[in-house]
Amino acid sequence: MRTLLIVAALALAVAGCAPDTAAPARAAERFHEAVSAHREDAACSMLTRKTAEKLPDPGQTCAEALREVKLGPGGAVTAVSVWGEAAQVRLAGDTLFLHRFSDGWRIKAAGCRPVRDLPYDCEVED
Amino acid sequence: MRWLKENSLALAFLIMFFLALGGQALAGMLDYNDRQLAEGAEPVSFAHYVASSSFAVDVAENWQSEYLQFFLFIVMTVWLVQKGSPESKKVDEAGAESEEQQRIGPYAGPDSPRWARAKGPRLWLFSNSLGLVMGTIFLLSWLAQSVAGQASYNSDRLGDLRDPVSWSSYVTSPDFWDRSLQNWQSELLAVLSMVVLSIYLRQRGSPESKPVGTPHAATGVQG
Repeated sequence: MRTLLIVAALALAVAGCAPDTAAPARAAERFHEAVSAHREDAACSMLTRKTAEKLPDPGQTCAEALREVKLGPGGAVTAVSVWGEAAQVRLAGDTLFLHRFSDGWRIKAAGCRPVRDLPYDCEVED
Repeated sequence: MRWLKENSLALAFLIMFFLALGGQALAGMLDYNDRQLAEGAEPVSFAHYVASSSFAVDVAENWQSEYLQFFLFIVMTVWLVQKGSPESKKVDEAGAESEEQQRIGPYAGPDSPRWARAKGPRLWLFSNSLGLVMGTIFLLSWLAQSVAGQASYNSDRLGDLRDPVSWSSYVTSPDFWDRSLQNWQSELLAVLSMVVLSIYLRQRGSPESKPVGTPHAATGVQG
């Protein structure tokens, strides 16, 4: 009986925890607001460390590289998926992938287009 | 002290179970954190890891296969026999056996469990309770594996910049069946080994073995 309860608890622990979809959605919107307002430094501070490091070419800052990418407008949130520490936020004009850190959600990839049976092709990624 | 001796087998396995589960949790967390750092993510605490889908799926996939193994062994040995094996009934005793052999209904003794003296559904339920409980735990563990596995799989997929999948897609995915079948094959091999090796090999004093001097052809004899 005890084992049954543990198994049920395991299933509930995984299935029952409703993920917080609002926080990654807000992070994605804030990122696009910063890009649209040409506050690239602020937008860069919302990227994961790995993504921010990979984005610029040699001799370039993250903000300069982000300006060159010319991300389109994000638009309204249409769907959010959160699994563990990872999230995908779909905006009307973009799809973003995020990762949760101790200080909140950060952008791992943005400007992403789906590729059939393969990972998304992203303008900004780690 | 007598209580300890009378229950030493269950207690030993209970203690070993918790030690192994704790060890799995610790080793699993270290491995998980190693991968987190490589991917530029933050390491997680022990409490965070044992509540994660990654730990849950690893635990559940092993539990389901163990309970499947015992469920199959319990139920299949009602009808199937293996000549010479102490894990099998005698060859001509295959089947559910008579009421007299099973000490049920009118043949139940004063010391028989109450439900062994019952009739109808209660007797059927008690007569099959071991297989039913093992089978139910298997199904629940397998369900838990599928739920936790989907969560862990989708977390990895998002990390790889791919779309997450639904539960129905996950239970037909190679990941789900790879996890299930890799456990099933090892459990089935272990049962096969036990059934066949115990025909020819002995472990003196173990009820899982025939007595050392028993002929190889003797079936259904336990030490």
